[in-house]
Amino acid sequence: MTAQRSQVPTGRHIFVVGLGFGDEGKGATVDSLCAAGGAAAVVRFNGGAQAAHNVVADGVHHTFAQFGSGTLAGVPTYLADRMLVEPIALAAEADELERKGVRDALSLVTVHPDALLTTPIHAAANRTREDLRGIARHGSCGRGIGETTWYDLAWQARARPGDVVQNLRSPGSAGEPPLRVRDCRNPTALRRKLDALQQFYRPLLALGGHGVPSVDAMASVYREFAAAVRIAGDEHLERLTRTGRLILEGAQGVLLDEWRGFHPYTTWSTTTPANARALLARIGQPSGYVLGVLRSYQTRHGAGPLPSEFDDRNGRLPEWHNGTGAYQGGWRVGHLDTVLLRYAIEACGGVDGLALTHLDRRGSGQFVAEYRYRGHAVRRLPLGPAQDLGQQSRLTAVLHGSAPVLEDLPRQADQLAALIGDLLRVRVVHTANGPDRKNRI
Amino acid sequence: MGNGAWSDNTYRAASTFRRARGIDDFTYTSTLFSLPQAQWAADPALDPFGVGMRESRDSAEHPNSTPIAVLFDVTGSMGAFPRIMQAKLGQLHGLLQREGYLQDPQIMFGGIGDADTDRVPLQVGQFESDNRMDEQLRTIFLEGNGGGQKSESYELATYFIARHTVTDAWEKRGRKGYLFIVGDELNKPVLTAKKLRQVLGEPARGQVDVAELYREVQQRWDTYFILPNQSSYFTDRQVRGHWRALLGERLLLLEDPAAVCELIALTIGLNEGTIDLTGGLDDLRRIGSGHGATVRKALTGVGTGRRMIAPFDPGRDGRR
Repeated sequence: MTAQRSQVPTGRHIFVVGLGFGDEGKGATVDSLCAAGGAAAVVRFNGGAQAAHNVVADGVHHTFAQFGSGTLAGVPTYLADRMLVEPIALAAEADELERKGVRDALSLVTVHPDALLTTPIHAAANRTREDLRGIARHGSCGRGIGETTWYDLAWQARARPGDVVQNLRSPGSAGEPPLRVRDCRNPTALRRKLDALQQFYRPLLALGGHGVPSVDAMASVYREFAAAVRIAGDEHLERLTRTGRLILEGAQGVLLDEWRGFHPYTTWSTTTPANARALLARIGQPSGYVLGVLRSYQTRHGAGPLPSEFDDRNGRLPEWHNGTGAYQGGWRVGHLDTVLLRYAIEACGGVDGLALTHLDRRGSGQFVAEYRYRGHAVRRLPLGPAQDLGQQSRLTAVLHGSAPVLEDLPRQADQLAALIGDLLRVRVVHTANGPDRKNRI
Repeated sequence: MGNGAWSDNTYRAASTFRRARGIDDFTYTSTLFSLPQAQWAADPALDPFGVGMRESRDSAEHPNSTPIAVLFDVTGSMGAFPRIMQAKLGQLHGLLQREGYLQDPQIMFGGIGDADTDRVPLQVGQFESDNRMDEQLRTIFLEGNGGGQKSESYELATYFIARHTVTDAWEKRGRKGYLFIVGDELNKPVLTAKKLRQVLGEPARGQVDVAELYREVQQRWDTYFILPNQSSYFTDRQVRGHWRALLGERLLLLEDPAAVCELIALTIGLNEGTIDLTGGLDDLRRIGSGHGATVRKALTGVGTGRRMIAPFDPGRDGRR
């Protein structure tokens, strides 16, 4: 393929967001930007430990969950206030990174004191709820990420037993604010909140077989976490901007966004750059460049609409790093879908450039030009009013009832990139034709 | 995932975090961490509660004792220091005694936490002349918490040194001891009567002014604050200004935490007037320490040789 240099601007902060349902190649894109130099930190601003961002650099492969995907390039990580932090998994990831040759991995991480804490209690609650849903599973990762956000909402609503908050039933009385990273430094608050959380979820957990460690064990590990990992707020991030630019690494795809995704097949997280924009504004920085990441075809994990899905049991599009999670459901593929991509770009409030990945695997050879829905052509899904889940449910119904209209894709990578740029009215500024850092331009 | 797997993960994570701050060798700490918090306490040998006086006394073997108190902030990443010190204790002792920086050092170690939030905010050992100081060091409980308020209870430790120590060096010879506090934050604004009651178990007599306390302690103790490059507070102007106001040039900025032992040794040698900086740096080279440059930088601007001691007598020191 033609080797054009990456046209991602240097110097500006960059939001790296996925324009699909996750798995677009955000991790490798972040690694590539970091390896090019000039990055002060990779900032995680949404989601939590469920992220699975694959990076292959110099033969070392790591699936990043909470560490930023710039770690192998030596760039430190900042977990911002809207990140959901899971310390036990963070330690396990640090161990794994050290086995792969990253020294003092935990010293690379700084955490915002206001970030919510995901605990084994949240994970067990999440798994129990999914088990009870049976066949109507939402396609959750089972890590308690959504449950962490939900408890915060339940607390804000001062939920009582049986109250329904955002479609989920409250198992107890939400009497304590949610655990935050800052609480790990305060033994009294830590103990009180862990006790309260356990009490709150007891009726739900009694319905399932998902055990949790003792409150003592959790309190102890969280205190260790606070002692070992640097905890610092916005001022730390502001200081970092003096030494280089920030790479703001989104987790999950825009199409899973809690408000813009296709309800109810969404995540409890803002996956658009909205949080990251707010963060930069708060520390007085100019807004960043939005780099939207997409594959040359569509993918999805677990349940939910995917209009362009085709049966790939013959493995035209073999997957390097994605398997099937017990709670997440199977791996699915579809044709590149310009209707979904246009919607994702609008949901981001616009995208400045595209990173097109998996050019080595564009086996489907076709793309979705439009949908047929009840006899009408649909090229664009309307962006409804903010935070209107009724509207989002209607969009889900449209996707379920739509038949894709397919056209052929050019075989040449540069022609493909040019066509996608034209169709989406955003230039392709960065491409990848393989999983390794060296496959990136 | 069942409870067992979760518990394993939790245990492993705790051990990863401990290793990250370098305390896995400290078995007292490891043991305590496996117990409920309610049972966390200083080892009785280090518990300051109800202690009348810690004594540094001459003996037939050590007739010219000079007390040295080294008190570490053990919160957060600072918990690495007792370990660094433990690994180099032999070196410190060697420099002080074999190189003749100081006769008959008696060293006491202690740990400083946050009296607002920690279960064990202060630990103080005994003045020891032999390898019991190593044991003391390992017995410090590295609670590692701290309140995150940019202050720790250094003043409580200083109060203990000022009011709860008695030394032959001072009483018989009018010689000051050495107090080194290794930390990275501010003192608490005031030392309250409540803290004195809670931690030291002494009847309250109103609060103690911190600046006044540091003036008091310096009458009997040459007092230094070592601020290591271990956290973001190393460059914090408020932290530096705070300690400069209390101790002047005796705020020592240590760029490489690994050099803390060498820094303490040379600071003492220089203050005793038994070495000059060049000689001290030569000694470091000779014993294979690569920290000369760091130590020189930390000691720039610190006055030297303010007092002379009686000429060193190698015959008596005896090369035991």
